[in-house]
Amino acid sequence: MPRGAGLPYRHPVPVITTQSLTKRYANGVTALKDLTVEVEPGIIGLVGANGAGKSTLIKLLLGLLTPTSGAIRVLGLDPVTQSAEVRARVGYMPEHDCLPSDISAAEFVTHMGRISGLPAAAARERASETLRHVGLYEERYRQIGGYSTGMKQRVKLAQALVHDPQLLLLDEPTNGLDPAGRQAMLSLIHRIGTEFGISVLVCSHLLGEIERICDSLVAIDGGRLLRSASLSSMTQHTDLLAVEVDEGEQTLFDALTARGLQVKQEDRVLLVRVTQEETYDLIRDVVADLDLSLHRLEQRRYRVADLFAPSTAAQEVSRV
Amino acid sequence: MNTGVIELKSASRWYGNVVAVNDITMTIGPGVTGLLGPNGAGKTTVLHMMAGFLAPSQGEVTLDGRPTWRNPEIYRHLGLVTERENVHGFLTGWDFVLASARLHRLRDPEAAARRALHIVEMTEAANRRISTYSKGMRQRTRVAAALVHDPRVLLLDEPFNGMDPRQRLHMMELLHTMAREGRTILFSSHILEEVEQLSGTVQVIVAGRLAASGDYRRIRRLMTNRPHVFTIHSSDDRRLATALIRLESVSGVSLGQGGLQVQANDYGSFTRALTKTARQEQIRLRQVLPADESLESVFSYLVAANDGAALPNPVQPAPASRPTPSPQPVSGGAR
Repeated sequence: MPRGAGLPYRHPVPVITTQSLTKRYANGVTALKDLTVEVEPGIIGLVGANGAGKSTLIKLLLGLLTPTSGAIRVLGLDPVTQSAEVRARVGYMPEHDCLPSDISAAEFVTHMGRISGLPAAAARERASETLRHVGLYEERYRQIGGYSTGMKQRVKLAQALVHDPQLLLLDEPTNGLDPAGRQAMLSLIHRIGTEFGISVLVCSHLLGEIERICDSLVAIDGGRLLRSASLSSMTQHTDLLAVEVDEGEQTLFDALTARGLQVKQEDRVLLVRVTQEETYDLIRDVVADLDLSLHRLEQRRYRVADLFAPSTAAQEVSRV
Repeated sequence: MNTGVIELKSASRWYGNVVAVNDITMTIGPGVTGLLGPNGAGKTTVLHMMAGFLAPSQGEVTLDGRPTWRNPEIYRHLGLVTERENVHGFLTGWDFVLASARLHRLRDPEAAARRALHIVEMTEAANRRISTYSKGMRQRTRVAAALVHDPRVLLLDEPFNGMDPRQRLHMMELLHTMAREGRTILFSSHILEEVEQLSGTVQVIVAGRLAASGDYRRIRRLMTNRPHVFTIHSSDDRRLATALIRLESVSGVSLGQGGLQVQANDYGSFTRALTKTARQEQIRLRQVLPADESLESVFSYLVAANDGAALPNPVQPAPASRPTPSPQPVSGGAR
């Protein structure tokens, strides 16, 4: 789904820059250490282990924390000295349950719009428009307390969008959603990023989701930058071809090996190293000769998950 | 016959007028099984009936032939990791797991606790307070407490929630290892990619009823009313399309930017014929992708097919364990 660059964004590029950003808490814990990163507009995935410093980075971006040293700019603004301007341009969807239960979504989102500086009438209009965008219609007049997890997530997203921000920070937006709810939330985020021209920073533990909707990725580990790159550069093809047959993978394994190919078996998948174009034909012919059902023939890609399991996946791929 | 087999026989559970689980029959044996379903489908109710926390309103729930309700003996063989985290932050990991070992009256609780903490790789942090643990560490400690008596059956409700990628990988390896040792592992999850990686065998519950059970790839094959879609890249997509449309098993082809899309009515004959046809035409096959074979698409087909409508029998590739069609839903079942 990632789309090409060159779409009109209404804000300065890059969206986020940090320069040797360090944050040490009063108790001596260093949450971020010398982090230098530049984030281009688009849908950006922010990944890292628990405790890697993701939440600290978000709080710094919102101006809720002051850096110990180093610099941070959001849309070209300094969140410490220009926090009001930053908050007028940034929407934030927190991870935890933060909604009041005894008012309706329409009231709540209107209120959040007013807090961001919208006049009363505009706030009401924007709230109703935003709630419709995220897929809440008649329900928006009911009390939030009676909402399902999926609906609450939508309200959280709507309050982040109500003041028409240029940058959205989403913390675990699919948490607690079931497959259909996740799918809906992901396509919504994708639409916001592509159709509305809003840059979105998505914090998630689910690397599959990141691969599906993001253009680029920032990975942090132990408060340091692990990797910042476009997603397409991280999921490049390997020279391994995954071959899957419905039944008889052992027979196929033997036959391919007999033809002098390097084959490795991984459960029901055979990984064949492609050295020349003719390898494709060889595989096709062997499968045809054995009268097997060809289920899948696909060049293996590197996956974002390999970043987190350097000892297994990535190396095994190169070792075959 | 102590093999760790959980069986539900026409089990239902209702709360007042709300039917949470509606006439489910399933058998869970050794290995890893994923329990799937939309929110509110009844997964947790099923797990709690299996763990003996809830009595079935109707039908039977047994572990190795003995009912799980009002039968504390089962806890010698069964461990449960609940979805909710109820751990006391002021205890250390060691205290918590040791307490669990003592509750089971194990002969050597210290040794058992040490072993369990070692399995989940929490030995080093065992003497820290749980309140200082990360989510993944707390989760692993809870697994250790559930494992301390070396149960044959382990039930886990959303075990991956809140874990980061590395912790997820670790937990998956752990479950795999335990399954290889012949244990019965049943876990519920919303993250279908993960279930796909961990286990091919699934039980899908939709609106309180069993919608499908077995290997999801075989479940897909049984959905004969949905054509199988393949995306193909070759050295000459147009010529390949012409050749493929002549096949009996192919119902449609279309050329697009993403390559050649083929709709096949008959999975077996098409996948067998594809390589032969390509060879005959001297076309090089670069990529053959089943476009709707993932657990995600199988799941969404099942949920769509079972939503609200009168429910057909579950899709079950396994040797038919349902001799008779299920009776109509009990009162209040049509929600």
